[in-house]
Amino acid sequence: MKGRFTGLIVLLLIASMALAACGGGSAPAEEAVATEAPAEEAAAGEAAAEEAAAEEAPVEEAPAEEAAGEEAAGEEAAGEEVADANALPRNETLYFNGQQWGPVVGWNPYSGSNNNGMAISQSDNARVTMFETPYLYNMLDGQQYPLLAEGAWSWNEEMTEITFKLKAAAKWSDGTPVTAEDVAYTWATHVKYETPTGAGNKDYIDTIEAVDAQTVVVKAKLDENGKAVNPLIVAAYLSTNYVIQKAWTEALEARSGGDATQLLADTAEDVVYSGPYTRFFADDTKVVLVRDDNYWGQDSSMWGKLPTAKYLAHTIFKDNAAGTTALQAGEVDVSQQFNSNVQDLWLKQDLPISTYLPEAPYGIGASLPTAFFNLKSPGLDQLAVRKAIAIAVDYPTIIANAMTNQSATFDQVPRSLMNPTAGEQAMYDQAAVADLQWAGNDLEGAKKLLDDAGIVDSDGDGWREYDGKKLSYVATCPNGWSDWQAAIEVVAAAGKEIGIDITTNYPEWSVYQTVVTKSDAPLPEGYDIFMMWSDGAGPTQPWGRVRKMLSSEFVGMASNWNGNWGQYSNPQADELIAAIPSETDPAKLKEIYTELVKIYLTDVPSFTLMYRPQSFHTVNESVWTNFPYDGDGTVPPVPPLNLTDGWSIAGLYNVTLVQ
Amino acid sequence: MGHTIRQIFRSGKFVVGFTILMSVLLVLVVYPWWVPDPPLQILGQGTFFPPGIYVSAYDASNAPVLYTLNLRDAADKRIESRLSQEDRLAMQEWLVADGLPESAIDLADTDALLALWEEHYEPDRRLPGMTFARMRYYQRVDAGLDSLRSAGGGEILAARNPETGELEETGMVKLTDYANISQVANVRILPLGTDNFGRDVLTQLVAATGVSLLIGFVAGLIATAIGLTLGLLAGYIGGWVDDIIMFFTNLFTVIPTFVLLILISFSIGQDQRGAITIAVVIGFTSWVWTTRSVRSQVFSLRNRDHVNLSKLSGHSLPRIIVADILPYIASYVVMALILQISSGILAEAGLSILGLGPRTTEVPTLGLMMNWAMIYQAHVLGNWWAYLPVLLTIALISFSMNLMNTGLDQVFNPALRD
Repeated sequence: MKGRFTGLIVLLLIASMALAACGGGSAPAEEAVATEAPAEEAAAGEAAAEEAAAEEAPVEEAPAEEAAGEEAAGEEAAGEEVADANALPRNETLYFNGQQWGPVVGWNPYSGSNNNGMAISQSDNARVTMFETPYLYNMLDGQQYPLLAEGAWSWNEEMTEITFKLKAAAKWSDGTPVTAEDVAYTWATHVKYETPTGAGNKDYIDTIEAVDAQTVVVKAKLDENGKAVNPLIVAAYLSTNYVIQKAWTEALEARSGGDATQLLADTAEDVVYSGPYTRFFADDTKVVLVRDDNYWGQDSSMWGKLPTAKYLAHTIFKDNAAGTTALQAGEVDVSQQFNSNVQDLWLKQDLPISTYLPEAPYGIGASLPTAFFNLKSPGLDQLAVRKAIAIAVDYPTIIANAMTNQSATFDQVPRSLMNPTAGEQAMYDQAAVADLQWAGNDLEGAKKLLDDAGIVDSDGDGWREYDGKKLSYVATCPNGWSDWQAAIEVVAAAGKEIGIDITTNYPEWSVYQTVVTKSDAPLPEGYDIFMMWSDGAGPTQPWGRVRKMLSSEFVGMASNWNGNWGQYSNPQADELIAAIPSETDPAKLKEIYTELVKIYLTDVPSFTLMYRPQSFHTVNESVWTNFPYDGDGTVPPVPPLNLTDGWSIAGLYNVTLVQ
Repeated sequence: MGHTIRQIFRSGKFVVGFTILMSVLLVLVVYPWWVPDPPLQILGQGTFFPPGIYVSAYDASNAPVLYTLNLRDAADKRIESRLSQEDRLAMQEWLVADGLPESAIDLADTDALLALWEEHYEPDRRLPGMTFARMRYYQRVDAGLDSLRSAGGGEILAARNPETGELEETGMVKLTDYANISQVANVRILPLGTDNFGRDVLTQLVAATGVSLLIGFVAGLIATAIGLTLGLLAGYIGGWVDDIIMFFTNLFTVIPTFVLLILISFSIGQDQRGAITIAVVIGFTSWVWTTRSVRSQVFSLRNRDHVNLSKLSGHSLPRIIVADILPYIASYVVMALILQISSGILAEAGLSILGLGPRTTEVPTLGLMMNWAMIYQAHVLGNWWAYLPVLLTIALISFSMNLMNTGLDQVFNPALRD
């Protein structure tokens, strides 16, 4: 009788695993494998609890299908909608995975916690399916291409003001034109209600003004010398942040009574947008966007046509394994998740699946997942210990095993602060730092370094001591982030090889994030070596990434979502970082970046473990084809960012049905 | 005692179960002599190497003696490994789409096919209606053909001259050269391949079985000890002692054990969860049924004549329990212990699959192996060697223990005795 229940559960689990192994489509019961969740998405999870799932008034100017589903208010309407969303015509629907985890919270472009992966993400490569930015950033060539804007933007002589014009054709979903007044009012609202966008930019942007209906002037904040505090961030604003309609914003303000919390918590079901898609259906199983056939962008001044797919749909999967199973089955066309051993899908299983590059690393690395040292841990304040650990780590194994080769190796792209794109690699003098760059696996070098620093094993227990204390550390990353966990295991193994006792620990993300981002106090025990991300590709890069890896401005921040979590501080580095944004001479810039890389590789406040793409991009050509790939001949090149982010949305106009 | 043991070993079921378990234990003891590697050592750079014999390619071509074997089907096999029938059909498809009549293509004639291919194939050309994935497939097929084209008499070996930096020919591996595997310096047998970390699955499996058995044993001992003590006290003393003990026992009966286990493991936190901690937690959550059964058995024993006689003789409570009651329920307790061990192993596996098992760096357990196999999608990608042997091991151990239990039952339970 004893333990029969336990036995039953275990048997069930085993049975489900066996079933899945036999090719069953059911998702096995297992732990969620989270990918890097940006700050706002994590926060959205909490907000989701408060969210009422009530359907509100239908979107104005909604296409016929949607209006039909929503006109009859209440639960019946919801029922009808479910039927529609589940019977989407396959040859008009482009399916995604990896962008949306958990149900959508809202459609409010002012808020940072919508958890709305298909429609809202204001970042270096802003998601422009529903809302649009004046310019689109293209990570492949580093250029900003006009979307709502007409032609290129320009600085004035003193480099204190940016002027750009809006396209005459640009229209809101309610048919009214997008005006300079909308751009100005969006910024004013961000500042007035201290939205994440407002808080992040108000130190750099003073005002945004409408000169006439079509012309916008962005005035930078000036420092004591009358120069822009940070021209890079001002310019990046144009491709990072949405333009939101003034009339709708005023309605939103009126109903939230001027209260910032209420304004940001509004789910904005009635929002007016300018993009090619809008909300069709959303619940906790899937999110569907539908094409707005009145989209202004079919004007010859922009795309000249509508995007091919009528629906963009995203089933909400439980975890990566469920997402991979759907991709294999052809139920997902564009995959933005980590599919381990992705090459098996075409090499072993002969599926019509491919990635941007034909061979490893399969995608274009953009960010640098990095292990930070807690510089206050006893012993880790010693350069010899930090450097010894960093050079002893077996990076090829991390890349081959944890990332299943979906990262460039450090032989291919030697370590610096730059990502592997050609543009960034050209920003520093590789030869000048070559003797500082390490490829890992250097156990002898690490031991010698420690021996020379007098950090030896004096009591014969096999572990080295510093100041009479055994060197013993905990390496950590969030639980369930499988590629990071596997990487941390390899770091721990390196420690054991050189006489430093490193154990691993994986707290839940909810705990981890609050501990790591609290930079106004020393990190607690158990966070000696910990993993976090770096910036990816964007208009302010590599400056933004370098700053977030090295700048001491984040030390002392109560909620630090930026970087330098190990609390490194070096006035010389700070000075160099501050000099970059207003520097325009490429030679001088290269000199500064080289100097910063030198500092980084000499002081070793953290060490990069792998390169990671901006977003994973794997496509299944069962239904759709003509996805972007390396050398596809598009001009400008369409980046592998899932046809929704920045310039990659151009890919939505190129896809065609498989014949 | 000797008689009882003889009796037990006459039960066929018990003997089979016992033999299986002992064989498993034997493997645990003997295997590390064979493969002394630490079980968590990362051998492979890459994930999920399939089971097989891995021969060092470098050592094979540098073997002390290379033998010449003229095997008739060697060339065919070589071609087949690079160019399957499916690839040939695909090539035909391309050539036909390029405007060649199907009759002009002889799939069986490799040389002719390659010649046609060379003439017509363009790597960057996308035929109408061809997907991009298909285009890459053709590029891979084409790349594979290179080795067929270049295979004249063999491959030339070359080394870089350290002074001039030039490549200099050092030898040649002919198509008919064979190395005897026993003369190759480095051969590693990976009977169950490697896992997602590049660890040898078999070595890890043996170590994990040991750890899991230990967890089961510790959990079983704790659960049985608690259950036995409480059951004896409740059953023999009765009254308010019984009431209190049964109050708690009933309380724990209605809470599903596994849910309790999940909650406790979660609240302990990952940094505290060693293998033994998990064992203790499992032990402390699975004593309930033992308590109930022991109590009811003691109930029927406590009014027997020999117990009353001991009471009248003024024997102390502990003595009566140990000398007059325990021997009568000993057989049951042993059986309960065996089942507790088996369910302890299952509980660890269940917890680890949910990611609530022991922390990962120190020791492997059966549950952790399955957990990592699932995280790295071994079941989705068909890498059966990473989890199927683990499942079978768990099944084998529980099977053997349940078999032993049934055998004991037949010996001790008068109702079942033949």
